Amino acid sequence: MTTATLPVRVARPKGWWGAVVFVATEATLFGTLIGTYIYLRLHNAHWPPPHVPKPPLLTPTLLTVALVLTSIPLHVASRAAGDGRRESAWRATTASFVVQLVYIVWQLHDYVHTIDVYDPRQSAWSSIFVTLLGADHLHVLVGVLLSAWFVLRISSRLTRYRIVGLQSTVFYWHAVNVITLVVLVVQASTHL
Amino acid sequence: MTRNRLELLQWFSLFAGPLAWAVEHVIGYFVSDAACSVAGAQWGLDTAAWQATLAVLTGAVVVAAWLAAYVTFRETRTVDKDEPGPRGRIHFFAEAALLGNVLFFVIVVLDGIGSVHDLPCHQS
Amino acid sequence: MAVVDRIEQLEELWLERPGVLGWLTTVDHKRIGILYFWTTILFFAAGGVEALLMRTQLAQADERVVSPETYDQLMTMHGVTMIFFFIIPMTTGAFGNYLVPLLIGARDMAFPRLNALSFWIFLGSGVFMYSSFLIGQVPNAGWFDYVPLALRQYNGGLNIDFYALGLIFNGVASTIGALNLIVTIFKLRAPGMSWNRMPLFCFALLAASLSLVFALPALTADCIFLELQRKLGFHFFDVAHGGDPLLWQHLFWIFGHPEVYIIVLPAFGIATSIIPTFARRRMVAFPLVAMAELLVAFIGFGVWAHHMFATGISTATLVFFAAASMMVVIPSTIQIYAWLMTVNLGTPDFRAPLMFIGGFIVFFVIGGLSGIMFAAVPFDQATTDTYFVVAHFHFIIFGAAVFPLLGGIYYWFPKVTGRMYDERLARWSFWLTFVGTSLTFFPMHIVGLLGMTRRVYTYRSGLGWDAYNLIETIGGFVLAAGLLLIASNIARSLRVGAPAGRDPFHGGTLEWTVPSPPPHYNFAVIPTVTSAYPNWDERDREEDLRRLERGDLVLDEAHETPATTVNDAQLSEILEMPPESPWPIVLALAVTIASFFLLTSHYATATFFLALAVLTLAGWHVQEPVEA
Repeated sequence: MTTATLPVRVARPKGWWGAVVFVATEATLFGTLIGTYIYLRLHNAHWPPPHVPKPPLLTPTLLTVALVLTSIPLHVASRAAGDGRRESAWRATTASFVVQLVYIVWQLHDYVHTIDVYDPRQSAWSSIFVTLLGADHLHVLVGVLLSAWFVLRISSRLTRYRIVGLQSTVFYWHAVNVITLVVLVVQASTHL
Repeated sequence: MTRNRLELLQWFSLFAGPLAWAVEHVIGYFVSDAACSVAGAQWGLDTAAWQATLAVLTGAVVVAAWLAAYVTFRETRTVDKDEPGPRGRIHFFAEAALLGNVLFFVIVVLDGIGSVHDLPCHQS
Repeated sequence: MAVVDRIEQLEELWLERPGVLGWLTTVDHKRIGILYFWTTILFFAAGGVEALLMRTQLAQADERVVSPETYDQLMTMHGVTMIFFFIIPMTTGAFGNYLVPLLIGARDMAFPRLNALSFWIFLGSGVFMYSSFLIGQVPNAGWFDYVPLALRQYNGGLNIDFYALGLIFNGVASTIGALNLIVTIFKLRAPGMSWNRMPLFCFALLAASLSLVFALPALTADCIFLELQRKLGFHFFDVAHGGDPLLWQHLFWIFGHPEVYIIVLPAFGIATSIIPTFARRRMVAFPLVAMAELLVAFIGFGVWAHHMFATGISTATLVFFAAASMMVVIPSTIQIYAWLMTVNLGTPDFRAPLMFIGGFIVFFVIGGLSGIMFAAVPFDQATTDTYFVVAHFHFIIFGAAVFPLLGGIYYWFPKVTGRMYDERLARWSFWLTFVGTSLTFFPMHIVGLLGMTRRVYTYRSGLGWDAYNLIETIGGFVLAAGLLLIASNIARSLRVGAPAGRDPFHGGTLEWTVPSPPPHYNFAVIPTVTSAYPNWDERDREEDLRRLERGDLVLDEAHETPATTVNDAQLSEILEMPPESPWPIVLALAVTIASFFLLTSHYATATFFLALAVLTLAGWHVQEPVEA
């Protein structure tokens, strides 16, 4: 294949753009969920309903901070992969994966308890709260599966396909971390 | 004008207007809904003040975007419509933004007049 | 290497396996486009039968051709089928998939396997939705499915669950398809095809795809809320527990209004392809037309509550939507002026494709005028839920979306099949369809203003509506005849049509530079592009032949197509494209099976099949491009 007549520019790969569009659609989904939360909040005199305890703040905040901080090693992994430094990329990805795994296991365990205490069959508040939280956990779970995949794949070799895949996954994770932060803020707003 | 500044002006002229209107539309909707809903009514929102401020700020951004489009269009006025990017593309988007920002300006003006004129919580 | 050897190598690299297995595992955008085409035609026929049954029921007062319950199901499925299983997949899946790579000088879409996946999930969602007929629990609360009627206490069967789950999965297919179109248009344009040189059809598909990406989540969320309430007892839509039935309407129309622009934008794209060809002139005001398409899509996101002007929302809120609704018509008007001026300034050749565009413009103007009337709140409140609304949207959907589609079928038939359609029969089919459409939908304006409400299975005699309804029904059958005439023209021409050659109409865009039908690899050499009408640039086409001889961007050593930069289409890398794959259809099958288990509340089993679907992704991604 010759490209003798044309210079070649450095540009974002198509996989990265695919991740951008995917994030756009998921971010819109969360925008819709949060818009629904605000809409229902405006239409209810008491929010949460009376006699419902406010959702916890400390544990979710600590866990979320830990999760959001994984954006740092993920960024390191992305750069290292782009530079061809496989071992560095693998170590950073694995470090993130471990924290993310602890996060999601802990959160899912708490979630089962949450559904008990804030039974969605009681009110619109608990319905949207449980749904918003569940949607976030689901997106984190997808991210954890993606991290696991790349822990496996780049343990042996770095190919261009895997590099682009990892970089697209890192982009997805940054987005999920921002969304998780926003969901935490919504949860905290009940204390206002 | 430097190439970077031209690029910046072009992208600003294309995206600032629509994004500003989108923000005004969403906030304006929720403010008007809050003023008349069970919970929001207790907050004593001065909807006229909110909507007027939103409209003026948004209008200002849209005007700035139109001016950016005009400057970019004039900077590239010797460009042939089939010219390749970047100059051909910059001229193309500047022309497009000249149209778009006019429309967004009119919407914002209509929004401003309507929401200041109409009584909130008056059922349609 | 000799040119003939290069071509032979390309043939071998891009050939897929033969037979049914080839079709089931195809990743070729042209084959996927054809799969979409025939599937959506089947759904069009189903939606048409539903319509004719409705019209037969309404032909005369106090009829009992069908029961009220059946009528509700027909009315609902007619809307759902036409919108979700016909027009969107036909324009984006069939026309979009087949044409976009050809129009931008690429050898396939950005993500070929994802492309196949979007088709198979679409087919699965259609099979899922229509299987409701087998157990007589067909969706029955209208295509917009308002609550509280759609809630379990008023609709206890599986009808609404078919609707909600079906649309969630249909939405996944559409989102995937839109993602693919966006990234393809961004990254796979031929070197030199900067934004100002990209065909207007691609701008239209880009606008429609961006809209799908941002609009579908609202519908998906709405349907998820509905299913959570119906199946698990959540509370989103009932006031007693702090919910709001209007929440359904808001979310539905936040999706629903952009949806109608998604429906019509590709049709605009077809019109802007046909007009320059048959006017033999470049499109007037090209940048404004391109921008108008994007503006219609964007402003269309801000008008949703004009579907709710009669729900009692405060006037201060409605202002925003009235303002945007008034302005959204301007970009469409700019396009109409551009089209008319292009025809006027050119030397028009009124063959069948241009005739259908002529019909489209007539119907679009009428439908657009009735639409802008709804932007005025008082007028809307008087006519909402009457047949005036039904008239408006059928003039737009049938007149402004389907007519260009029909013109586009004739226009690109020679390219796809290598044969010409019968021109005389095509003109007859235009007139029959035009008359049928007018007879069916124009009287609806009048009968609506006379007070006939929509969504009724019958009406009393003596209200002054009888004659109009009868004319509409007759019109419906005339329209059906016109469509059948088009179908028979296509069927006959497939067998005995004259050879079309590469470029029967002397169109300006790149699809006319390749043989008819196009070879599997589309372009022997990635084309030289220096304007928005490359097929009219003879020097560039001669340069292509020289580059083919030199092997410059022929890419005949592997299964490849170039990627370029987003803004200025400068070459950035050579992409290796995947071969056929069984994973898309396997994944779609797993998802479809899961949807049946969700329908019947077998959540554990559904999760198992969804987990299987996730596992197939592992198999999918284990196969990687060969590194240089």
